[in-house]
Amino acid sequence: MSAAVGLNLAVAGLIQGLLIALAGLAVSLCFAVARFPNAATGDFMTFAAYAGVAAQAWTGSLLAGAASAVLLTAGLAVASYVLVFRNFRGRSLVAPLIASIGLAFLLRSVLTFFVGFDQHSFHVPIARAIVFAGARVRPIDLWLAGTSAVTLLAVLAVLFLTPIGRRMRAVADNPELARASGIRARAVMLTLWTLIGACSAVGGVMLGLQTVVVPEMGWNLLLPAFAAAVLGGVGNPTGAVLAGIALGLVQALSTPLVGFTYQTAISFILLIATLVLRPQGLLGRAEPVR
Amino acid sequence: MPVRKWMLTRRVLGQAGAATALAAVVGRPARADRPYRIGALNPITGAGSTYGSGMQKTILFALEEVKRAGGVDGRPIEVYAEDTQTSPDAAVLAARKLIDANKVDAIIGTWSSSVSLAVLPITNEANCLLLHTSSAPALSTPAQNPKHLAWRFQAASHQIGDAYAAIAAHEKASRAAAMAFNNDVQIASVGFFRSAWEKAGGKLPNPVVYEPNRTSYAAELQQALSEKPDFLVVSGYVPDTSIILREAYEAGNTAKIVIPGWAMGPATVKALGAEVLEGLIVVDAVPDAGSAAFKTFDAAYRAATGNPGSSNIYAAMCYDMVAVLTLAMQKAGPSADNAAIAQVIPEVANPPGQAVSSFAEGRKLLQAGQKINYEGASGPIDFDERGDVTPVFGVSVFHDGKLEQRYLLK
Repeated sequence: MSAAVGLNLAVAGLIQGLLIALAGLAVSLCFAVARFPNAATGDFMTFAAYAGVAAQAWTGSLLAGAASAVLLTAGLAVASYVLVFRNFRGRSLVAPLIASIGLAFLLRSVLTFFVGFDQHSFHVPIARAIVFAGARVRPIDLWLAGTSAVTLLAVLAVLFLTPIGRRMRAVADNPELARASGIRARAVMLTLWTLIGACSAVGGVMLGLQTVVVPEMGWNLLLPAFAAAVLGGVGNPTGAVLAGIALGLVQALSTPLVGFTYQTAISFILLIATLVLRPQGLLGRAEPVR
Repeated sequence: MPVRKWMLTRRVLGQAGAATALAAVVGRPARADRPYRIGALNPITGAGSTYGSGMQKTILFALEEVKRAGGVDGRPIEVYAEDTQTSPDAAVLAARKLIDANKVDAIIGTWSSSVSLAVLPITNEANCLLLHTSSAPALSTPAQNPKHLAWRFQAASHQIGDAYAAIAAHEKASRAAAMAFNNDVQIASVGFFRSAWEKAGGKLPNPVVYEPNRTSYAAELQQALSEKPDFLVVSGYVPDTSIILREAYEAGNTAKIVIPGWAMGPATVKALGAEVLEGLIVVDAVPDAGSAAFKTFDAAYRAATGNPGSSNIYAAMCYDMVAVLTLAMQKAGPSADNAAIAQVIPEVANPPGQAVSSFAEGRKLLQAGQKINYEGASGPIDFDERGDVTPVFGVSVFHDGKLEQRYLLK
């Protein structure tokens, strides 16, 4: 493998990794605080991409399109909490998991009913790539990498640097104790679902900008997102972000060894191996026995 | 579960559609003979939905045309409509329903190889004819098609591969390369391209096989372009091809790119724009726009859908399926079974014989005891010994944001 090919693979892997990190963060946040794996995360992303394309067509501005996508998807996530997931509080994780799979199908069916199966796309100026020591970097990739890095840091900052973040972490740690100390679940949950929606939306718009907007786009990213959430340590958002980036890089950099067809398999072999050696995940801690 | 509910609804819709279709096309069978039942099994929803409704409408108006011409002597025809959802699972359920509940004798108009490959064992077992529009080589091998009940109205992979090689020669390519979406059909067609190209003295590095649903194909492209080819075949589907074409442009690619017609749609043009697409070569089986059958089909298709017939090559194939099947039924006689009907399909479609462009024309000549050769809307419709048509390929080039047909490969 020449150095240029390696560099290009690393760039592609980093972008893919940031995307998995965003989806993984949305999954991990939900698991940490609401305590179930949200299978509708992928379809939140799909919704965001379609909302972004529609808003861009309407306003003519990509920025307005992306902003509307974030707002609408945050609204969708909050609505799904209020209308669906709130009713499962205190139940085992199977019930909300199944409900989230149902919600995922519902969202996609409603979407395809109205907009069909044809592909859509964002309108972005297409520019030649910049060659950088043999590595080809597209201008849009720099934007996407920057935006997703800022989003990831912002979400983690809310979680670790603000009072509401501290309350969210308290609920994640021990819901009963949090309630006993007077933390109101309502504000925490509404903030949580807003963050989940926003995170999914940035991921969805980013995916749509890089590729094309089709109904299955988000669903296809769900498995890597779950893998990142598990690899990072279940319920550990920082771990999910690092694991997502690692998965993207490993997939891309394993290409010279296994070719383009089996790179996904390699990343999952790595996932299994990591979990065998370190069952709690990269940054997770072993679940204490109560 | 929402999935199950959806399927039930589809089924009910299919039955409702079938009932209306039945009333529209056949009315009440005039004779006491058992009617010949046709299942129109098309991709109404899913990835093939761009074509499916038009295909199904075409089958209905083509059968209506047969009826207006007097029908097949001694053989009333009924039609039942179903949706494959462009998914093998749903297609198998629908085919089972058509065969077990509706007792159809022929299933026509399946689209996409995975669907046709899934339906083929079922039709074979039930001695049912299958007229399809799919490319996979396995659909016409003696092992898969032992009773010669399956007939292909679309170009097969080897023909597409040969077409790529013919284009490479026509474009005076010196170094060729290929990329294929990871499935049987696409890998097979670039494989046939490679063998045809190497037989002609060219050289081709290993085709780059890529996975669906990647966010970027930049690395795959770099690999394919690593030996600086001047001719690149990209054999995939609409979403991945859009991404690859954009990334090839961004990477400053100078090789001529060739793609199959099914890998681009109106959305591709909208997404990529004229500059990225300039010089792109698109190859597809094309209808013979000058043929009489195409003109009849085109007029009826416009009336039924509001779109020109040239927008849906698969509907043209369905039109020809109905004509070939009914002419073969006419020739085989009212008591013929499917084996006998299948046997005479080449006799009504291939030369020698007087060229005919419709059921009405063919029926008269058959009644007079003459040989006929059906020349269809989607091409001349001549079958080889495996039951595959030999299509005419049109080669088009993007110029100033428009696709211009440049030459035909026969």
